[in-house]
Amino acid sequence: MAITEFVMPKLAMGMNEGTVNEWLVSDGQKVEKGDHIASIETEKVAYDLEAPQAGYFKIIGKVGETVPCETVIAAFVNTEEELAFIDVASLGSAPAADNPSSFSAAAEAVAAPAPSAAPAAPVSAPATPASAPINIAAFNTGRIIASPLARKMAANKGLELAYIEGTGPGSRIVKRDIEKAEQTGAGRAPAAVAGMLQGLVEQARIPMSGMRRAISNAMMEKTNGTATLTQFNEVDVTDLLAARKHLAAQEDLLGTKVSVNAFFIKAIAWAAKQVPIVNSSLQGNDIVVWDNVNVAVALALPSGDSYTENLMVPVIKNVDRLSLVEIDAEMKRLINLGREGRLGAAEMADSTITFSTTAGIAPNGTSGNSILNGTNNAIVGIGGAKKKPAEHNGEIALRDLAPVCVNYDHQVIDGAPASRYMNYLYLALEDPTLLLT
Amino acid sequence: MSLTKEQMIKLYRNLIRAHEYDTTMYRRMMSGRLIGFYHPGEGAMAPGVAAHTIMRDGDYTFPHHRAHGMAAMVSREMDIKRYLAEHTGKQGGCCEGRSSFHGSFPEKGLFMYSGYIGAQFSPAVGWGWAAKRNGRSQISFCGAGDGGFGQGRAHEAMLMSQNWKLPVIFWCENNGLAIYGDAAEMHPTEDISSLAQGYGMPAMVIDGQDLFACAEAAVAAFEHAREGKGPVFVELKTCRYHEHDIGTPDLRGDVQRSEEEIAELRDRDPVLLATKRVLDEGILSQDEIDQIKAQAKQEVEDNWNWADAQPIAQPTEEELMAAVFAP
Amino acid sequence: MREITLINAVKEAYIEEMERDESVFMVGQDLRGGIFNHTKGLYEQFGDRIVDTPISESGMYGTAFGAAQTGEYRPIVDFMFAGFSMVTFSEVSVTTGQQYFLHGGKTPMPIVITAAMGTGGRLANDHAMSVMGAYLRQPGIKVAFASCPADAKGLMKAAIRENNPVFIPFHMGLQSEVGPVPDGDHVVPLGVADVKREGSDVTVLASGMQTKFSLMAAEKLKGEFSVEVVDPRTLDPFDMPLLLKSLEKTNRLVIVDEDWENSGFASTISARVVEEGFDLLDAPIRRVCFPNMPIPGGYMEPYIMPNADKIEAAIRDVCA
Repeated sequence: MAITEFVMPKLAMGMNEGTVNEWLVSDGQKVEKGDHIASIETEKVAYDLEAPQAGYFKIIGKVGETVPCETVIAAFVNTEEELAFIDVASLGSAPAADNPSSFSAAAEAVAAPAPSAAPAAPVSAPATPASAPINIAAFNTGRIIASPLARKMAANKGLELAYIEGTGPGSRIVKRDIEKAEQTGAGRAPAAVAGMLQGLVEQARIPMSGMRRAISNAMMEKTNGTATLTQFNEVDVTDLLAARKHLAAQEDLLGTKVSVNAFFIKAIAWAAKQVPIVNSSLQGNDIVVWDNVNVAVALALPSGDSYTENLMVPVIKNVDRLSLVEIDAEMKRLINLGREGRLGAAEMADSTITFSTTAGIAPNGTSGNSILNGTNNAIVGIGGAKKKPAEHNGEIALRDLAPVCVNYDHQVIDGAPASRYMNYLYLALEDPTLLLT
Repeated sequence: MSLTKEQMIKLYRNLIRAHEYDTTMYRRMMSGRLIGFYHPGEGAMAPGVAAHTIMRDGDYTFPHHRAHGMAAMVSREMDIKRYLAEHTGKQGGCCEGRSSFHGSFPEKGLFMYSGYIGAQFSPAVGWGWAAKRNGRSQISFCGAGDGGFGQGRAHEAMLMSQNWKLPVIFWCENNGLAIYGDAAEMHPTEDISSLAQGYGMPAMVIDGQDLFACAEAAVAAFEHAREGKGPVFVELKTCRYHEHDIGTPDLRGDVQRSEEEIAELRDRDPVLLATKRVLDEGILSQDEIDQIKAQAKQEVEDNWNWADAQPIAQPTEEELMAAVFAP
Repeated sequence: MREITLINAVKEAYIEEMERDESVFMVGQDLRGGIFNHTKGLYEQFGDRIVDTPISESGMYGTAFGAAQTGEYRPIVDFMFAGFSMVTFSEVSVTTGQQYFLHGGKTPMPIVITAAMGTGGRLANDHAMSVMGAYLRQPGIKVAFASCPADAKGLMKAAIRENNPVFIPFHMGLQSEVGPVPDGDHVVPLGVADVKREGSDVTVLASGMQTKFSLMAAEKLKGEFSVEVVDPRTLDPFDMPLLLKSLEKTNRLVIVDEDWENSGFASTISARVVEEGFDLLDAPIRRVCFPNMPIPGGYMEPYIMPNADKIEAAIRDVCA
């Protein structure tokens, strides 16, 4: 059914509403284009309205009723029969819906104008442009995002933004999050950390100089100049410890209480005699394999301050020709010199392989990946032994297992010789009687 | 109608005074003792002096910008030393040192200046409307040059003044040049006053170098307006010897004005002509003339001394902000 | 207290002030016949104090401006549509604002500039543009705008009594808006804003028709968000203390202005709030303005211009 709506026209710029004073044709009458159909009155002037087309005229608006402009007040249909089928309720409805008029429209209908009976072509208008929130996730400054108000509140209450979850857009921390944190008790750092989080406070400022500087430089140099190969193992030293215990009990006879370290040092030298390549140095383009086995022993000695310690590595010379007692005595002599600050060039020079241990300081079972020392191509780390279940004579027993970590310079020592060394070391540590050979 | 002897002496004295102020301004500008800019009026002082000497207290005026309206200030006996202070950014300036070159003597009916050529046409209608309504026979004097009549505002002002028969004097000091713009090129008729015909407004064309002719025209025009007969268009043919404003080249179009041209203009110098006239007619003796000139020099010197003695106006930002609105 | 339309409230202000002070007069075009209701019939009462001019805006404005300069008159100049005042922009804007300041503070300018103004009438740019930004930019001019009949009357009376230039249009779409107006000499002082609806979640600052739209949005959101609607009433000088007080409560701000987004009222207030009330903000400030395009005609205005839906969306955004 073709139905054309007729609305109260907006005739003047200032016109907002109009009144039908009189219908000049009767309801259902057939009218021609141009016939006068209604007499209306605006706020200022009275007009006669003409039919915009021919058709059968359906009166909808009431005489004397003032309606806003654009309200449907009549309709045209093509045939008499269709008059009966006009559903007035479905026409136009609130002026805003289809044909937004004047200012009232903006108040109500803001969706894109739907195609209507109005002559205007259906406009494919954009949907009401929703306010596009700024995407703050786009900013990646590493800062905690919080509103100015939230920051102020947190500062006033002594809360840490780092410990507060943000529920605002882009996870921004906002007022409600601060309020919640207050209630739940979040927002406070653990006490120990609280101090740290209150900004950085200097406890001490130690210039890197002297020994520290030298150690630091040496470490960097060795790290950068070494192709490190590392091997780990765990050695059953139960028998070694038992042997040592026997010797220690003979302190008066031997003149020294033989240490576990003396055994370790001797084992290192014995194994090095079997695999000489680990007892070498790189000089220019030459690999120099040393005849002596001079074991450097890593010692931690006090520095000038209470924070750092100085690593010194005095050398026990010709370990391969020394007895356990001699090794032990020499080691202790060097430690004493170290403590007295009297380790000189003579004591420090000419190492060929290095021994490092954490025993007595770190918990038993600790092994460490040490940085090669000086011109040595191998450093042997043996940690304190820990009682562990292990296979012994086909059964499980609690044995003393010492962690072993050896670092080699792969420029000189490849995996095979390294492994062979590790093997001999292992054997000597496991069976100290080999040290008698 | 003819001028009385007293009127002629007064006119002559005012011309000498105005001339002295103008030439002093020129010298100060050239020696860096002036701020802003200056539009020298030498050769063009007669019309402004004439109109403002004839004017009465209570009349509203916007003088043409040639010589920055000093012809008006001198002739209406405004406190001109305050204008000198204003023009040097001093305390005691008529605009509190804020304006660089604006005149403000509202007690004498001079309300404003503007950087826009032709801005005066708009309020001139308002002054005319107020004058008519006040019923005190005031006039609204709208001074402008040939260039100012290029503004659309001028049309509106003439239209409305004639419609309502407002006592507005359209006083066109036509020196034939805007900045470089030749009036012959910028206006379709030789007489700017031909505009008046379109509004049914009476008009007259006067020799602007003849001080006394200008004054007679003012008398006639002002009377017409005061009697409620409506606006009058008075065109005064004048000239200027110098460039539009100091520092701008003195061109017509793109061609430098020649020394010969200027010399020829100086032949009809208003001071020269007025002096000859007062001597010839026995209005003033040479002694009296010398005295007038000496007094004028002294007056100018005294007023500049006063202005130079004032401190520079440097109010704080807060003080300036507080001055934006009237209480 | 009476219920009258906004346009009649303005008319009451005119009549009362013109009766009170003989130096007040009106100048414009077609005032005697009355394009809008507020000048209809004034001619019968006040005669030659209602002045009609030709279509000569600068001469028309000059009539008011020059008369005000003399110190004996207090003119109201009516441009019919605010956009038309742009025809004589140099006069209304530059020359008006600078007269008092630049001329030594000797000539107070008690001039009221008014017109119908408002987007939404399908008239396209020249008739529809909000020219607030043009007047707000110029130092030396005060700017006011009413959203209801009581304020329309009160502000106009204040503007006429003000010894400085005031631009005070009325919104075209609010002419027939009916509202209560107190009896007697009801004056709303310039520079005082008004809380039109109390709330606690967000402050919506809006003037003219936008106040009405904001109230509609607030009502719709009732139960979901508690919206406080603040009407500036005077845009310059603006009542910042009142706004900051509102923000102390709500911590969120949406500024609605029918004017273009570029360099308008909303932008200035935004910047000032960040300067003066930074720590009060729990969310970014949102502006709802006319997009930076000439105002189209046809059927486009309702969804392009600020409206209740856009205001609602902005409220949701800042309350997220």
